[in-house]
Amino acid sequence: MRWVVMAVALLAAACGSQGQVSDDVFTPAHRTIAAAARDYFNVRPAAQQPIPFPHKTHLAKGAECTDCHETVEKGPIAGIPSVKTCMVCHSQIATTKPLIKEVTAYSDKGIDIPWQRVYGFSQEAHVRFNHAPHIRAKVECATCHGDLKQMTVAERAVDHTMGFCVNCHRQKNAPNDCLTCHY
Amino acid sequence: MAHKWGMAIDQDRCTGCGACVTACHAENNIPTVGASQAARGRAMHWIRVERYWEGEFPDVKLKFRPVMCQQCDAAPCEPVCPTYASHHTAEGLNAQVYNRCIGTRYCANACPYNVRFFDFFNPEWPRPLDAQLNPDVSIREVGVMEKCTFCVQRITAGEIQAEAEKRGVKDGEIQPACAQSCSARAIVFGDLNDPESAVSRLARQERGTKLLEELGTLPKITYLAKQTQA
Amino acid sequence: MDRRDFIKLTAVTGTSAALASCGNPEHQLIRFVPDEDITPGIAEWKPSVCPICSAGCGVNVRVMDADVRTVRSGQAGVVRMNVAKKLEGLPTDPISRGGLCARGQAAIQITYHPDRLAQPMKRDGARGSGSFKPISWDEAIAELVSKLDALDDRKALAIVTRPHRGNRDALFAAFAQRVGAPAPIAYELFSDDVLRHANAASYGKAQLPTYDLAKARYVVSFGADFLGTWGSVVAQNAAFGDMRQARPGVRGKLVQVESRMTTTGASADEWVPVKPGTEGVLALALAGKHDIADAEKITGVPAKKIERIAKELADQKPAVAIVGGPALAHTNALFTATAVNELNKALGGELLGFASHNAQLSTLSAQPFAALADAKLLLVDEANPVYGAPKAWKVREALEKIPYIASFSRFVDDTTAYADLILPDHSFLESWTDAAPESGSLDAKPISAGPVMKPIHDTRATADVLIAVAGKLKTPVELPWKNGEELAKSSQPSTVDRRQANPAPPSAGRQPTEWTDPHFDGAASDYPMHFLPYASPAFGDGSTAHLPWLQELPDPLTSAMWSSWIEINPKTAEQMGIADGDLVDVTSSQGTLRVPAVVFPGIAPDIVAMPVGQGHEHYTRYASKRGANAASLLAPVTEPETGTLAWAATRVKIARAGDADGSLILFAGEKYEKPHDHETR
Repeated sequence: MRWVVMAVALLAAACGSQGQVSDDVFTPAHRTIAAAARDYFNVRPAAQQPIPFPHKTHLAKGAECTDCHETVEKGPIAGIPSVKTCMVCHSQIATTKPLIKEVTAYSDKGIDIPWQRVYGFSQEAHVRFNHAPHIRAKVECATCHGDLKQMTVAERAVDHTMGFCVNCHRQKNAPNDCLTCHY
Repeated sequence: MAHKWGMAIDQDRCTGCGACVTACHAENNIPTVGASQAARGRAMHWIRVERYWEGEFPDVKLKFRPVMCQQCDAAPCEPVCPTYASHHTAEGLNAQVYNRCIGTRYCANACPYNVRFFDFFNPEWPRPLDAQLNPDVSIREVGVMEKCTFCVQRITAGEIQAEAEKRGVKDGEIQPACAQSCSARAIVFGDLNDPESAVSRLARQERGTKLLEELGTLPKITYLAKQTQA
Repeated sequence: MDRRDFIKLTAVTGTSAALASCGNPEHQLIRFVPDEDITPGIAEWKPSVCPICSAGCGVNVRVMDADVRTVRSGQAGVVRMNVAKKLEGLPTDPISRGGLCARGQAAIQITYHPDRLAQPMKRDGARGSGSFKPISWDEAIAELVSKLDALDDRKALAIVTRPHRGNRDALFAAFAQRVGAPAPIAYELFSDDVLRHANAASYGKAQLPTYDLAKARYVVSFGADFLGTWGSVVAQNAAFGDMRQARPGVRGKLVQVESRMTTTGASADEWVPVKPGTEGVLALALAGKHDIADAEKITGVPAKKIERIAKELADQKPAVAIVGGPALAHTNALFTATAVNELNKALGGELLGFASHNAQLSTLSAQPFAALADAKLLLVDEANPVYGAPKAWKVREALEKIPYIASFSRFVDDTTAYADLILPDHSFLESWTDAAPESGSLDAKPISAGPVMKPIHDTRATADVLIAVAGKLKTPVELPWKNGEELAKSSQPSTVDRRQANPAPPSAGRQPTEWTDPHFDGAASDYPMHFLPYASPAFGDGSTAHLPWLQELPDPLTSAMWSSWIEINPKTAEQMGIADGDLVDVTSSQGTLRVPAVVFPGIAPDIVAMPVGQGHEHYTRYASKRGANAASLLAPVTEPETGTLAWAATRVKIARAGDADGSLILFAGEKYEKPHDHETR
């Protein structure tokens, strides 16, 4: 019985006062109960992209991952390219297509396309992932990001749980110390 | 052979300027807590310069001693952590894993050097101070413990770079922010497993002692005592 | 219900409603296309020059990408920019040699300060209230041009700056000269001009010396906190470290002669307290040019100690003497400086050299701001005399009467609060910058560097603004440089020699090394204590008090943070019933300050000391109305020949005013180390 009461109280708090739980004395790690719950259950909403970018189409035309995600071999971050990168080709290519017109509209206004991240970790996980050593170790992009050749809009094909990382690290004799990734 | 990171701090060179303290704040995204929280003892100086007076005017002397986490090989903060957030790594560092930490603060209680700090609040950086934050270092949220990591982000970056260039890490290549900024070169960082490294040589000096050695914590920082002039 | 069911219940009902929203506020901001190439997560290192003090350290800046809020065409949004993340000493720079001091490390916060002026401002309230409203650059420049054009007499244009800022000095000097205005008033509280004068007489160089400490066996410093706040601190620290421990079997000895323990005194092997203003006699006695017994009477240093040090100086070669700081802040400063130069001559002088530098000698009049009384238009650049000048010079009163004041300051400080117009400069990281190091290394050369990042606010380089304004005047004035870059890169001939403006009075026929006793403000019967304001390791003369890292930096000798305090000898404190934190009224002939006390073993019973730097009326959220301004107690006593302020010559009386009120914040626990403290826990 007391579990039901607690559940109801939790619901009420979450839905009622917008779940804000901060005051001068008590400052929690998350701003709302909803945010805390999402973090705890590792729930992330699927990314809603402003333009349905088709990876399939671009890869089929011979583009490489690193043509747009340029810095992945040199540093920690693969990065989501700026609309400037799109315009390198699309100022000339397929300029009449409606989606390309949308891209060009962003570029003309000086506004970057508001892509939403597909992969990532919550801040509280304190994961410091570095792409470059993985690329040097010849890990394929598809291993962690799924086969983009089959996808239009990028989907979270692979669940980046800690187990996923640790399993591969164990197999490849990569370091497994906490401090390797969490610092 | 695996690295064993250690430090030597030369109290004969240290002039107490505090550059190491500010450099550490800049490198490690340490929040500025403000006057009222500082008054409650919550200022977070991962490295601090202790100063001790000796004697009475006019025969008065003063001694400076920079103190940060000693990365003890028998760290008292490690066995008391219920979640393995504080543990020892193969390279000799005392790791503080923020995502494991649940904020019991037993580690700070156990630490005899008082070098562990608790985040009583979520850090705030009034814009655009947040643009200065180091992206290689975590922002710690409320409820976790933090402390000097020997700039583990620099160690990791140095090791990854060396691996990319298919070579070993050179002595002196990796410099924590405090050692890098010290104009008197009082702080020396390096591999204690390399007997020829600068830190190993300094650690062998007769002037060298360890802080609170008698407690058996096996700290990895050798303090070189201020010499007296003949 | 068991635990598993409970979790399932909340997972389904409690959270699903909230999951619909993305929840991340950053995603709601417009992201503008970057103006530059961004390589995320990868740092580039670029050179710059630290502007915090006149040492001119070369800086290495770590530049990485970050999101910066901005407004474009009226739309608020965010843009990815390459920005400075960390400052380090430039390893190849002869001054910094890869190191940097605390203030240099904190300098990056100038760029990102939340209270930095983001665009030109126009006064919007009473003069001095500090309320401003934003205006555009076109309006601001047009207004300044029209005010300058409206001046009938160009001699009524006054300019107040600070000295030793490389080519920026030349910019304002040239502007003044070509516009027909008097030369800028370059003021700093802790001036070393007396030493420059003495060196001009002793060595033919109106310049601060460079000391080869790394080769020294023995160093005696008279009042100069050369490891903390005086001179080219980073270079001097590096050389000191080498002096101690870089030569196997050889270690240099440091003797510090001063009235109040500084970090340099703490690093010394021997700390010799002296009566204020008597350092010169000790120097002469050590040089064998003054009777030791008489020196003991004057200085308070025991004769035996003087003899021993004199002998050690003769035996341990090479040796050098340094002088600066409070020793040269007395009415007899020229005597003291000359006396130490005599000692250096006796010691051989091979460790004392001069970097190649176009020294500028300024002979300020005893009241440098007297000219403001006639000014009709004032330009203020990187100066805060309302804060740092003695009250008796009535700078504030003068500013209240000047019809129009324009400032180039990046922040509203005590002086800029009186402005009618503010044309904020870039921070040094966003701008062409240069320095001409006067001392620190014999290899020092003028250095310049370009911006390491694009500006994050709508600010403009002052050089560019001044050049533009000059060109827009009714009778356009052309300055020797087209823009700030050209200015920074140019090498200047000897800058304006202000001796022409104020010729030094002939010396009164006195031998330069004849003992001149110091004069103090305030009779000893009314004001029994000497007052020693000192340059704060965190704030210098107060100009970096607005940086939060420095407010929170524990003071090296007291561990105080966010505070003002007065240092009192333990016996004096005990007699007056004063403990750490208790409030004390400190009164000079100029007024009273109420500050908490710190019981301080390293000071004589009849001296009290206070760091300069706090007590700003206006200086951003971190420093405004915090603590007390030590400079406000200073009497306008000056050294007669150079006119420089004798800031150590004020006497005060102190009285216990109340119990501790929490305004003193200390980081540390104990003053004295008790090694076995942990056993009693």
